[in-house]
Amino acid sequence: MSRKGLMRFLIAAAVSATALFGSMSVSAAETTQDTLTVAMGSDATSIDPVAVCNVYSSNIMAQIYDTLIDVAEDGTVTPRLAESYEVSDDGLTYTFKIRQGVKFHNGDELKASDVAYSLKRAQASAAVAHIFGDIDPDSFEVPDDYTVSFKLQQQNTGFIAGLANTGASIVPEAVVEAEGDNFGSNPIGTGPFKFVSWTKNDTIELERNDDYFGEEPALSKITFRIITEATNRAIELESGGVDMAFDISTNDISRVEDNSNLQLIRKVDNQTTFLAFNCEKEPWNNPDVRQAISYALDTTAICNAVWRGVGAPAAGPIAPNVKYHDNDLTPHEYNVEKAKELLAAAGVQEGQKLVISTNERQERIDMATIIQSQLKEVGIDVEIEVLEWGALLDKADRREQDAIMVGWTCQTADPDMAVYAVFHTQSNGQVGNNYANFSSEKVDELLEKGRSMPDSDDREAVYKELQEEIVAEAPWVFLNNGEVVVGAKANMKGFEPTAFGYHPLYNIYFE
Amino acid sequence: MLKYVGKRLLMMIPVLLGVTFIIFSMLYITPGDPARLVLGDSASPEAVEQYREEQGLNDPFLVQYGRYMKNLILHGDLGTSYSTKKPVIDLIKDCFPATVKLAFCSMLFALVLGIPIGIISAIKQYSIFDMCSMAFALLGISMPVFWLGLLLTLLFSVKLGWLPSSGFNTPLHLILPAVSLGAQSVAVITRMTRSSMLEVINMDYIKTARAKGLHEKTVIIRHALGNALIPIITSAGLQFGTLLGGAVLTESIFSIPGIGRLMVDSIKMRDFPTVQGGVLIIALAFSIVNLLVDLLYAFVDPRIKAQYK
Repeated sequence: MSRKGLMRFLIAAAVSATALFGSMSVSAAETTQDTLTVAMGSDATSIDPVAVCNVYSSNIMAQIYDTLIDVAEDGTVTPRLAESYEVSDDGLTYTFKIRQGVKFHNGDELKASDVAYSLKRAQASAAVAHIFGDIDPDSFEVPDDYTVSFKLQQQNTGFIAGLANTGASIVPEAVVEAEGDNFGSNPIGTGPFKFVSWTKNDTIELERNDDYFGEEPALSKITFRIITEATNRAIELESGGVDMAFDISTNDISRVEDNSNLQLIRKVDNQTTFLAFNCEKEPWNNPDVRQAISYALDTTAICNAVWRGVGAPAAGPIAPNVKYHDNDLTPHEYNVEKAKELLAAAGVQEGQKLVISTNERQERIDMATIIQSQLKEVGIDVEIEVLEWGALLDKADRREQDAIMVGWTCQTADPDMAVYAVFHTQSNGQVGNNYANFSSEKVDELLEKGRSMPDSDDREAVYKELQEEIVAEAPWVFLNNGEVVVGAKANMKGFEPTAFGYHPLYNIYFE
Repeated sequence: MLKYVGKRLLMMIPVLLGVTFIIFSMLYITPGDPARLVLGDSASPEAVEQYREEQGLNDPFLVQYGRYMKNLILHGDLGTSYSTKKPVIDLIKDCFPATVKLAFCSMLFALVLGIPIGIISAIKQYSIFDMCSMAFALLGISMPVFWLGLLLTLLFSVKLGWLPSSGFNTPLHLILPAVSLGAQSVAVITRMTRSSMLEVINMDYIKTARAKGLHEKTVIIRHALGNALIPIITSAGLQFGTLLGGAVLTESIFSIPGIGRLMVDSIKMRDFPTVQGGVLIIALAFSIVNLLVDLLYAFVDPRIKAQYK
């Protein structure tokens, strides 16, 4: 190329570059921001309340639908679509008075028949039956357009907390019947935001429902962006690509904290990560041996090393923000000598093998690695087996594991959800969530008692006893409770995270 | 020629049938229960069993396979996703274009950069340019794509703010992913071009062309490159076909809603119909790319065209 040609080329390149970058600059907003862009780590699977049970889908549902009631962490019930409700003396019959004049996003009025339909669907759905399975589907009565009643098959004090779960979102019967499976991709609810569009694995767009019966949201639009890499979520937050990012990783926490344009919002959540022994396999069927392992592990040190201040070491089966969590419980005592004594008394030989099965989550592998080195000191030879999630569940279903590292989340504001499915004998002996294959008459009795008692000091005492008994039996080594870590722009207000992993965004506003 | 194309298209059918059988078998024997994974770990045992019955997951292997093939061949139906309940064909239609765009841009980047560098390296063998370009090629092949992707993001998105770090809406969004993904392809194509050109440049007919007094540019581009193209096209074709399978790491880092991510998510969920349908479409795409590469040979080299009957 001649020199003249080269000069022309360089000038042209410089001009185009300037034009390109110039057009990229965003003009400063003179009005308050009224749209929210949120980065989420995984796409929703379906927006049909009863089709799935995962937090990513529930995050969308929480903005589009309403439930009959809201339940606070301490159990206080606030009416939402229901104006009021009554429970019969035997605790089995629930009657709800439905608010009048509430419109679905398609303009149809909410009627009690829609409520009955939604709850019947929840009871029959495989994905959320663990919360609503106690409903008797043949017991629904709709005496008028704004009253609905139904019965439970057995007493369950925790049931009312379940009605605040997104699985009990109220959907329009006519639309669901017409759309069928398609409803999950084109949802209609009564909530503060309406569904606009969903590009799979990319974005979900919602817009404000101007006819919402409750307080009108300050935001006119919410866009969910699916960004799988945690580092990228933090990068997008820093560069202004998103206003809010869920699940900030431990590596990025200090970056967000040190940035004066951003804020970090944290809350210990209802997830417990634990190591569950196979209580049917020798020598782990001996509670003393299980206790010995708990003594041999410094769970506080493990949590600090792996989680670096995110969450907290777990002391028992019920997470700190769940009602009736026993505040007197502390993380298990770390005492290597006591551990060795108990193992010797139980006849466990030096070099006893223990296979810890876990999935590929790096934090779990890291915890298992530290456990391996700590247990070496008491003569236990740990082998870490990393399995893909489906394969891990398979192994647990076939009851082949020695010990398995998993998590469990209490999905409602009632302690029954934290303990019944994982410790009751009913869940043992089949494909289910009793990962420890645990069975104890005393624990079963306490679980059943706690479930059927009304909220009271007596109920609290039952759950306290239950937690102490489970800690004594030690089917699990309690490792840590998770934490919701959300990053957002510093001028974003009105966000209160929940401990369930999904959060209402409709109260958010920007200063 | 048309007969050749027809024959090749017919040959694809047994290949694709074989693919469906292999994938179906692999999914069948892989541990992990789709019902458990789709319904979530809180689902009750009764619910899991009910789901398995409804989806026919308790039927013998041949019954399940037969049912799938019947739907595929008679109705052209790839089935419905276990997790999202959407037709598999819709899921693939939504995400395949993003993968095609990414693959196309990566290949373009690779060819536009790789071929000229390869040619110049061959002409100026053992020069400083040649040494540097081979060193860069080695770097390109060795660098993991996720590392390069994050590095480029930190530089161009965070530090300089020139380019967006994730998403797939505008042409600007394509630059970083295409460069990250294309880096390996650039390296391969550069080296392939260089070695192919070196073989051809030392041929007698090149000496003859120069002796005839032809301009050096004509000698290199028309005579040398023209004959060196076959291995380059083969390599580029294979690379492109592989990219169409979905570059999972790149798609994850840059949050591109492509078929790679769809495949990984579906495998994790044991969403058999989606995995099956996705692999089938990818195999079909790869076969078509192979066919197009073979036809391109005929276009480039008349000697090959004569062989296609």
